[in-house]
Amino acid sequence: MKKRFLAGWCISMLAPFVLSAQSSPPPIINATLTGSVVDSKTGNQLEGATVHIKGTTHEVITDGKGHFSFRTGQKLPFTLEVNYIGYQPLEITVNESPVQLKLQESQSQLNEVVIVGYGSQRKSDITGAVASVSKNLLSQPTASFDNLLQGTVPGVAVTQSSGQPGGTATIRVRGGNSISFGNDPLYVIDGFIVYNNNAYANTGASNGAGVNALSTINPSDIESIEILKDASATAIYGSRGANGVVIITTRRGKKGSNEVNYSTYVGRQSVRKKLGLLNASQWATLVNDINKSDGKPASYSDSAIAALGVGSDWQNAPLKNATIQNHELSFSGGDDKSRYLISGNYFNQGGNVVNTGFKRYAARINYERNISERLKVSTNIFGSQSNEDKLYGSPYNSINFNGAYSNLLQTSPVAKIYNADGSYNTTSPFSSTPTNPLLDIIATTNESNLTRVLGSISGEYKITNDLVLKITGGADLLNVKQNYYAPSTTGSPAGSSSGYAASGYASVGTSNAVTWINENTLTYDHQFNHKHFVTVLAGYTTQFQKDESAVASAQKFPNDLTSFNNLNYASTAVLSSSDGHRSTINSFLGRINYSFNHKYNITLSERADGSSRLGANNRWGFFPSVGLSWNISQEDFFVPASRIISNLKLRLSAGRTGNSEVPPYSSLAALTPTNYYFGGALVTGIAPLQLANPDLKWETTTQYNAGADIGLFRNRVNISADVYYKKTSDLLLNVPFPLYTGYSSVLENVGSVSNKGVEFSISSDNIKNKQLTWRTTALFAANQNKILNIGPDTRYYYPVAPTGQVSPVIVQVGLPVGTFWGYSTNGLLTAEDISKGAPMLNGVSQQVGDRKYVDYDKNGVINTADKHNLGSAQPKFTYGLTNSISYKNFDLSFFFQGSYGNKIFNLLQQKLEIPTLSLNASSTLLDRYSATNPNGKLPKATNSPVPQVTDRYIESGSYLKLKNLSLGYTFSKGIIQAIHAKQLRLYVSAQNLITWTKYSGYDPEVNFYEGDNTKQGIDYGIYPSTRTFLAGLNISF
Amino acid sequence: MKPLLFITAAALIAGACNKLTENPSSVIVSSQFYKTPADAVAAVNAVYSTLNSDPAGDFVIYGRNLNLLTGNGSDDQVFSPSNTNPDVRALGTATYVASNDRVKKNWQQHYYGISRANVAIDQISKMTIDTTLRNRLVREAKFIRALLYFNIVRFWGDAPLVLHDPTSVDADKAKIARSPKDSVYAQIVSDLTDATHLPASYGGADLGRATSGAAHALLAKVYVTRQWWQQAQNELLLVLTAGTYSGATGTYGYALYDNYLDAFQKPTKNGKEHVFSVQFESNLGAKNSTQSLSSTNFSSFNPAVYPGDIPADHLYELFDSTDTRRAVTFFTTLYNAATGQTVNFGAPRFAKFIDYSLSPLTNQAQSGINFPVIRYADLLLLYAEVQNELSGGPTPDAYKAINRVRNRAHVPDLTAGLGQQAFREAVFLERRKEFIQEGMRWFDLVRRGGTVLVDALHALPAKSAASAKDTLFPIPQAEIDLNPALTQNKGWEQ
Repeated sequence: MKKRFLAGWCISMLAPFVLSAQSSPPPIINATLTGSVVDSKTGNQLEGATVHIKGTTHEVITDGKGHFSFRTGQKLPFTLEVNYIGYQPLEITVNESPVQLKLQESQSQLNEVVIVGYGSQRKSDITGAVASVSKNLLSQPTASFDNLLQGTVPGVAVTQSSGQPGGTATIRVRGGNSISFGNDPLYVIDGFIVYNNNAYANTGASNGAGVNALSTINPSDIESIEILKDASATAIYGSRGANGVVIITTRRGKKGSNEVNYSTYVGRQSVRKKLGLLNASQWATLVNDINKSDGKPASYSDSAIAALGVGSDWQNAPLKNATIQNHELSFSGGDDKSRYLISGNYFNQGGNVVNTGFKRYAARINYERNISERLKVSTNIFGSQSNEDKLYGSPYNSINFNGAYSNLLQTSPVAKIYNADGSYNTTSPFSSTPTNPLLDIIATTNESNLTRVLGSISGEYKITNDLVLKITGGADLLNVKQNYYAPSTTGSPAGSSSGYAASGYASVGTSNAVTWINENTLTYDHQFNHKHFVTVLAGYTTQFQKDESAVASAQKFPNDLTSFNNLNYASTAVLSSSDGHRSTINSFLGRINYSFNHKYNITLSERADGSSRLGANNRWGFFPSVGLSWNISQEDFFVPASRIISNLKLRLSAGRTGNSEVPPYSSLAALTPTNYYFGGALVTGIAPLQLANPDLKWETTTQYNAGADIGLFRNRVNISADVYYKKTSDLLLNVPFPLYTGYSSVLENVGSVSNKGVEFSISSDNIKNKQLTWRTTALFAANQNKILNIGPDTRYYYPVAPTGQVSPVIVQVGLPVGTFWGYSTNGLLTAEDISKGAPMLNGVSQQVGDRKYVDYDKNGVINTADKHNLGSAQPKFTYGLTNSISYKNFDLSFFFQGSYGNKIFNLLQQKLEIPTLSLNASSTLLDRYSATNPNGKLPKATNSPVPQVTDRYIESGSYLKLKNLSLGYTFSKGIIQAIHAKQLRLYVSAQNLITWTKYSGYDPEVNFYEGDNTKQGIDYGIYPSTRTFLAGLNISF
Repeated sequence: MKPLLFITAAALIAGACNKLTENPSSVIVSSQFYKTPADAVAAVNAVYSTLNSDPAGDFVIYGRNLNLLTGNGSDDQVFSPSNTNPDVRALGTATYVASNDRVKKNWQQHYYGISRANVAIDQISKMTIDTTLRNRLVREAKFIRALLYFNIVRFWGDAPLVLHDPTSVDADKAKIARSPKDSVYAQIVSDLTDATHLPASYGGADLGRATSGAAHALLAKVYVTRQWWQQAQNELLLVLTAGTYSGATGTYGYALYDNYLDAFQKPTKNGKEHVFSVQFESNLGAKNSTQSLSSTNFSSFNPAVYPGDIPADHLYELFDSTDTRRAVTFFTTLYNAATGQTVNFGAPRFAKFIDYSLSPLTNQAQSGINFPVIRYADLLLLYAEVQNELSGGPTPDAYKAINRVRNRAHVPDLTAGLGQQAFREAVFLERRKEFIQEGMRWFDLVRRGGTVLVDALHALPAKSAASAKDTLFPIPQAEIDLNPALTQNKGWEQ
């Protein structure tokens, strides 16, 4: 078994072995060919095997005795192809009839090679938890490959932040280990380590949802994705392995052919759902009710209300149907010495909200050449340019609420959208500035242009036949330019004021992040006596990372003509800013894989990482692991059971991995600049930002994993199950510090978090014959996250809440990270409650028809002590179900994906249920308590009551989505030969077709705070999600 | 082989270059700083900046958060419908609890400023720079430290007395108990006494720094609060302009503006009436301004939109229509230049911190109005109060001082011949009218002792929940949770 790097493409090539053509006897014509198919070991006759004469349409299936017979006018000899589930395919040239064809049982897919860290391994020898994304799910249309991980691998939870094209997703492998920093998995793209940091894609010039740096990568270039989950697999990535590793291999050229492939799809997207809001007359009635509560006269007479009618539908105003299209052209091929792939991609996803969308142009060159018998050089170079137009929002990572779409929802339906002449009406009496929220969305520029080049060059030198030196050098260059312009006619954010107040506000930002990597590995691979298989890996790697950014802004423009392009036209400059960081990681790594006869396998690995980001006293961390596996089905005693259980393997592993994703300079006594004015002029002040912590060290995750891989009925059914326990200790945590010291928190290694869970996957070839195949794959994963400790004196703390808000979440020992914390409610207060002296909420007037809160601690008063655990954003389990059916030339697949038990804080709904005199509200307020509606569910209308975090707004986020449904047709050889094509497939597909959920917001997949670990599952008004119908074509020549 | 050797060499060189030591280029580290005179100046600038900025981007002490305690916590203001933050609303309804976020934020912001002052004082004292500059800078930092501790000791009573930066991230070492109020006051007096050696004035580029006059004035306020009337008088006489009152020796040139409005407007900032002001300018950011005191919301010219603070009932009615302070402190109608219409708001709204230099007027996010911490009018009224207390009744100078403040506002002289108690009441009523929204009212109610605060709050139906415990704010619950050595104020225990 040769150890090859990045050899994923050849997986499919390894299984069949081709008999070389023998010197053929003189041809004879035979009208019939008969024979039988048997197991090469046992001689058992195999029923249901397909026998196919190569190059013809002749194909038969063996009968109950394994027999087959052809009637054919072909001349002998000819080549037969024999396929049978659980056996290696056979291609054989026959010269006579009858023949006996002997099939070798495939050692399940055990002979498959799986890409692991710094190499590949026979699947049979693997000791860790490694899973692959199935091929057919890889081809789902998507802007960014991280979306492909959703529901396709057990234990990987993916949540889209919003429906914004090019937006971010939160990806967690086996739950989140860290409370404060870095829970994203590590990506290894063609051997190049990429820790995705979306902050590099945000300079601060732009605002709104984050930009997904992974969307720069073209998903159609991807050949395979493997997920390394347990310590045995990930510890080789040491300090960056704790959150799992996603190994991505891109497509390569294949030896012996030149192929041109074009694939495309074009589709139409529409908004999946709209929220119920009040119309103009309903809103006017609400305003009158508020006035009534305040003892004030009604604002609208009955006739005025009737005249208002439905009013303006602001929610609908910016929505449109949008197109999505993707074009990919690739050339690939190779000869004995070289392999190449050249690809180009254009992707364009329009937004369902006007003035938004995502575009990408990408190109790739993968090339490798054997310079000599011993030396091979290869390169993978990828470049892309992408452009994202976003909705404006609050500044990136800001805690404030100020989103374009939510502003729109809250605009009074009484205000007119357009004037009679069709221009935008900007004179709403209900908005604080003469602006129009629809115009804000249309006129505001908020774009991010990303350029990424990721390239590596490597040389592999066989020092001896067993010993290979590999040296790789590579760079990942990510350049971002962001442009923002809030015209003077808009209320869009402009620094801390609005475009209107600032008389036009422009901001441009650029950021440049570069990662250099050099990796040097020696691999020794040898087998002794055909029984002992040993692979030893040793290496030294170093990675240097540098990021620089600058933002310049200006305001007070004479007009809006130059937009962001010329800040010199502005009369007021805003203080510019720039920033830069450097960090280094040096590592030594080693691994020993030993397998006895592919029966007993052991993997030992160790990585030592030194990171510049950590304290001077604790820079180096050591991350060992051990993994064991036993292929029980290879044992002689197991043979009787092998008719049913064709494969059984047990795996056990333990190890340590780390996390050091704190920002650079976190351990230093850094000072921060501030501003003050003397004599009307700006002066700079410099003061401590944080206390030095020279002992700052790695977050360490210790993980135990036990798993089993089971193949049934000649591996027609494959089951994989894992249980794991992870404990992350020495958490990098901003620990609350006495405020009177002047520091609110210090960064320390304190506390621990555990994750434990089970993962289960089953795939089954339900039907497999010539006409019809049906394959089902089901996944299930449950993870329990628990905070064990957050410091000696701290039992809980509240993460920073949006200004003006009370934190809806708590970080508390014993609860999962991301637990919602608030009051329980129990309907509305009745006259009887009040006469009985029902407990009242502090600080809010309480009358009949007001919200009734549950006195959780039963002390007779409702105060913050009555807040309690209202559930967590973390799902109890996630699942996925894929069915692929092919019948003759048709193929059909449907893919369900779901999540159960997670809660969502519907902050948008909370905001929409506040009755005010100026903002629109949810249609749920129609069912408010009033004299005429004494059984109303919502409190009576009062002016701007204080919103509370209550169980009403902590909603179930469970959902099941029909994520993908596609139907394809592959043209028969005869037709496509006419156009000289090798393959042609047409398909139609629907994305996000149906969602079953009780969640009342736009989409249960929501993360307003994106990757913020403690604020998951908060819906503060996001870009609405979409449903897509598309048609596509793949053709290759 | 050759390319291989080349790659190997390149790799080894690349590897060898990557050191793990951090040499940040975008961040200054403490060990690199506190060396030059410019460093020392910057360290002290940072102390001042805690008065008008917040590291987390929250509202600032002077301009918003202080007023939530002194305004919303007093009988000057009630909650506004736009106070959707339950913690803000609770302050306006006297129903706040020890975990109130705004109380905690005030605590945090005050100590944040003290921390920066501590660092500046300790670091600059060690520096070998020009002695005059060094002494001045240390004294400026001490002035700010005293100002902040003075607020702290009045809000919370006994308080942790922190005078040095923590040396490590070990929280245990930072856990200290509250120092008695007297010790805190002793430190305040000590810092201010040192600060009285500050320069009497600064050149234009340093206008706004603490002066010796400000130090004497603040010291006088401290002594008045402690009811050390004689010491208070001594300090006041040092700043009251020589010749205006018997024994006054002040050479600072302090005086009242003829026009009350000028005390709050941008073109007249840092003038003769301003003893110490927190400096604001446009473009610092919407939260880093005094605009929140009038609130951006008025700019909609929509009476249905409420600003963050609204006056308590009858506050407006305290004023005679001839009192020029009424039209400066409130508006009931406002001219909208954009539409040419005058909008009637019905109920009075606060107007003192509207920056009328802005065009359009709605652009209050650009407000550049200073927050006056000590105005000369304050010193005059304190002097009237001190004279009344020292002499068992109002002296001619006491009448002269209070009438100076009244006359400037076109209010006639106070009725002559009042007894001590009646004069005392007159002084406090005058203080209330003069200093609305200037961070005084709660302090003035509490320092009179007894049930004055609670009685005043009970006069408002919305604050019927007030009780004796409200004469001190609760120590933030989170601080007690973190450090059990901190005790809670009476009545606030959870």
